[in-house]
Amino acid sequence: MRNINISKICLSLAAALLLVGIASAQDSHIKEPNVTGHAEAGKPLYYRYCWGCHGARGDGNGENAPYVVPAPRNFVQATFKCRSTPTGTLPQDQDLYNTLVRGFNFTNMPSWAALTAQNRADLVAFIKTFSPRWKTEKPGDPIPIPAEPKLTVDSIKHGGELFQKLECWKCHGQEGRGDGPSASTLTDSNDQPIRPFNFTTSNRSKCGRTNQDLYRIFMTGVDGTPMPSFADVVKPEDAWDLVHYLRTLQYNNPSPELALWLSTKEGHDIVEAKKVYNTNTGSGVKP
Amino acid sequence: MRKSHVVMAGFAMLAASAVAMAGPAGGTVSGKVTYEGTPAKMKPIDMSKEPSCAKMYTTPPVAETVVTGPGNALGDVVVYVSAGAPDEAAPSTAAIFTQKGCRYIPHILAFQVNQELKISNEDQTSHNIHPLPKLNREWNKSQPPGTPPISEKYDKSEFIPVKCNIHPWMHGNFAVLKNSHYAVTPDTGAFSLANLPPGKYTITAWQESYGEQTQEVTISGSETKTVNFVFKAKPY
Amino acid sequence: MERWSPRRGKDSLARVCTIFGYVLFVFAILLVDCRPAAAIPAFARKYGMPCSACHLAWPMLSPFGQQFKDNGYQMGNERDAPIFQQAAYWPVTFRMTPYWHRESTDKAQVDGPSGPGSAEAQSTVHGFDWSGLDFHVAGTVANNYSFYILPSSDNTGAFHFESVWARLDNVFGSSWVNIKLGKFELDNLLSEKRILTLSSNGGFYQNYHFQPLVAPGISESLYTFGIGDNQVGLEWMGHSKNDRTRVSAALLSSTDGQPGLPTSSSYDGFFAASQAFEWGSFGLQRVGAFAYLGQASTYFAQNLTTTTPVGTDLNGVPVTSTATAGLPGTGTGLQSFRRYGLVGQFYIKKFDITPMYFHGSDSAFLGTNTASNTPLPAGGRSPSWNGALFESHYTLSPQLIFINRYELIRMSQQAFSTNPGNLGNIDSLVFGVRYYPFINARAGFAYHAEYAIVRQRGASPVTATDLTNSSLLFGFDFDF
Repeated sequence: MRNINISKICLSLAAALLLVGIASAQDSHIKEPNVTGHAEAGKPLYYRYCWGCHGARGDGNGENAPYVVPAPRNFVQATFKCRSTPTGTLPQDQDLYNTLVRGFNFTNMPSWAALTAQNRADLVAFIKTFSPRWKTEKPGDPIPIPAEPKLTVDSIKHGGELFQKLECWKCHGQEGRGDGPSASTLTDSNDQPIRPFNFTTSNRSKCGRTNQDLYRIFMTGVDGTPMPSFADVVKPEDAWDLVHYLRTLQYNNPSPELALWLSTKEGHDIVEAKKVYNTNTGSGVKP
Repeated sequence: MRKSHVVMAGFAMLAASAVAMAGPAGGTVSGKVTYEGTPAKMKPIDMSKEPSCAKMYTTPPVAETVVTGPGNALGDVVVYVSAGAPDEAAPSTAAIFTQKGCRYIPHILAFQVNQELKISNEDQTSHNIHPLPKLNREWNKSQPPGTPPISEKYDKSEFIPVKCNIHPWMHGNFAVLKNSHYAVTPDTGAFSLANLPPGKYTITAWQESYGEQTQEVTISGSETKTVNFVFKAKPY
Repeated sequence: MERWSPRRGKDSLARVCTIFGYVLFVFAILLVDCRPAAAIPAFARKYGMPCSACHLAWPMLSPFGQQFKDNGYQMGNERDAPIFQQAAYWPVTFRMTPYWHRESTDKAQVDGPSGPGSAEAQSTVHGFDWSGLDFHVAGTVANNYSFYILPSSDNTGAFHFESVWARLDNVFGSSWVNIKLGKFELDNLLSEKRILTLSSNGGFYQNYHFQPLVAPGISESLYTFGIGDNQVGLEWMGHSKNDRTRVSAALLSSTDGQPGLPTSSSYDGFFAASQAFEWGSFGLQRVGAFAYLGQASTYFAQNLTTTTPVGTDLNGVPVTSTATAGLPGTGTGLQSFRRYGLVGQFYIKKFDITPMYFHGSDSAFLGTNTASNTPLPAGGRSPSWNGALFESHYTLSPQLIFINRYELIRMSQQAFSTNPGNLGNIDSLVFGVRYYPFINARAGFAYHAEYAIVRQRGASPVTATDLTNSSLLFGFDFDF
């Protein structure tokens, strides 16, 4: 076939670079960087990357904001969706930093992982200058998250009972498709229509992909939206059961919880009933 | 003759001191809040999405955006001293806000800065209690039936709309005020703000749909001054 | 791309009286008509982001924009599929530059006392002009299926396809497997398609297109290749999720991106890898390497003789013209050529510099225009050269960028030992500045000013002495 000698130098160089890359990859681990952010350094970054949506004054009224749904965050109001702190409190710096790394699924807010850690820390510091709340209030204390207990079928079933008892289905629907009886009338705190999360679309919810993120979402609430905090009414161990159950609603995304659920007859029948087979317009048709 | 003067003076002093010992000498501002024009007709609330609440009513209740009474009286108006009185520490009793029949009772709850607010759910369905302040912190908590009351407080004076996201017809208001001189008019439209020390005061009346009006009043002693508010009703 | 096609086959060297110096000049203009990529407002419109987010100063990419590109022009928030856009959204951007320019050469071939084309003279032309037009049609057809079509015209409106590809992104859900098929720009860390200069002499990278002179006045004619030319083939590309590590390998047809398989059925390979790391508060630094392993045919196994009627002579006898050319696809006598490089991208706050070391070598047959089934001429050797490039920018703000580039190419071995040692060596210096009066998410505009000067040793058309060309350009570069 080809009469090419693959240069040993090239290949080894490429391999070396690859190894270096894998070793130092900062892929999915979001850890507190050992950098201090400075608002003055964050200012030119904000006006390069962020101001188009978030606005010159940080109030979410950027030039592109009218065409962006959901609307960009208003930093002057300082109500943040994804926090590790209780509802109504300011988030920790780490929460804001994590948001920059992760982005928001199903929104126009991308992941800024391509920026350097210093850039992101500077941006967090600058964003905090938009609201006077940061000067008068301290951020909340992160809610304690106990270690995740062992995954069992009983845990999933108990989570299902909680889903009924706490009336999550009123907004999220019985199958978690975001089609509950109250779903169509939901508005966010700016009176804009908003839909509840549809668990069947993705396992990447607004505030992250891990079980801890899911735990935090309903234990701290998603401020600025109809999603309330259940911290006062759900015990931590019950909360983990609910997390396990919610993962079984995400039947399009493999997870240990879904695998365990499918291994039971009851779970298998429930999940299979949701699927549509033998369509003639291609694979991966998800109802 | 002089003797009677002395007696009279003594009597007067006794009376004065009796009055002084009876409590802080205070004037009263009282009056009535009325409307002119034709207010919008309040629509009945459709609670069919929540049968456990709908069945509590023989006829559907109406929205409480504008509450009227006989003689063009306007109810649910918060009348309070907005200037002239010093800020007061919050009382130790809690202000009670109840969710019952998928409505808020009272529709408008007035209480003080840093006063404890106690919210309870007496229905058989979950509510989420979601006040929407602009100056205070916004929080949103779920309250299933049978759970203990939620305790909160606000540290800034503000009028805060309250809603339940699950039941979109539920509307209420918090009036967080700086001092204890406030009243919420019943459907007679009458109010009375008592125990006002002498001074110049600004009295404000606030209605959630018609906005607010202010009037100035001066109290010099323990008289009662009448202050009436007339709001222009909106037909929509 | 419309190119000057070297005549293949058995034309004698004497017949190929190439006016290399002038051709280099024209060559350069034609090259610059392969318009570079641009800020793509179609992307900005789709995602509501201003140009400055993806571009340090368009068309130059920022690390965020590079990640967006490597991800298949997707933001990765599960809203990339076209179903999430208004039905009226159409992923097309156009880019155009009207300008005034001045081109100068110190030795153009002119008529002289010894006859036509026998002398050299200084030549300067200047006036108003315009560039070619690019249509960038790019985006996603579905989640993780991306595409790019770039119909590009020269300034007469004659179109060719500069890029035509579709890509499977994040295969198996992994950012390490992306497969691209079609005609595309090689995964060069220093992207010529995102070059910040536009002039005839400064609007391309000398190192990316250099082919050595065979002898004074004679250029390589058996093959055409530039690592900056878009090539056609299949590319695997992988990157870490935050785009710090990037690797690619491509299998390409040995046609320099021309369609229709004009030469042979041989394939080339291209490999590139780079690693970025954060350096304190200075920013992202990246180092990489690339290698192009190419081969070209030196003669055709079958030749076509075509006879074309031209007209009739004075006696009414038909006159024909006969031409012999290789039958496409039957190129044989493959000989290899190599291009290697090391690249760095270093950011120090607002200043960034991209140094590059480049090495190229051709087989002796390619270097001496010899078919490999004939003996190599006496003294014929495999030419090789080393080159360096230093491109630096000062980005005062997203609205103002200063550009400087210095390139040099030094032959380390000439094709013939009789060639002067520095025959074909190039030095090039470019200065530019771009000012963007507004940054929004819909369209872009830049005031562009540039000066470039290039000297090539022994390249003048008649006397084979040093040739110096320069360009001065002022223009409005805009896209929508």
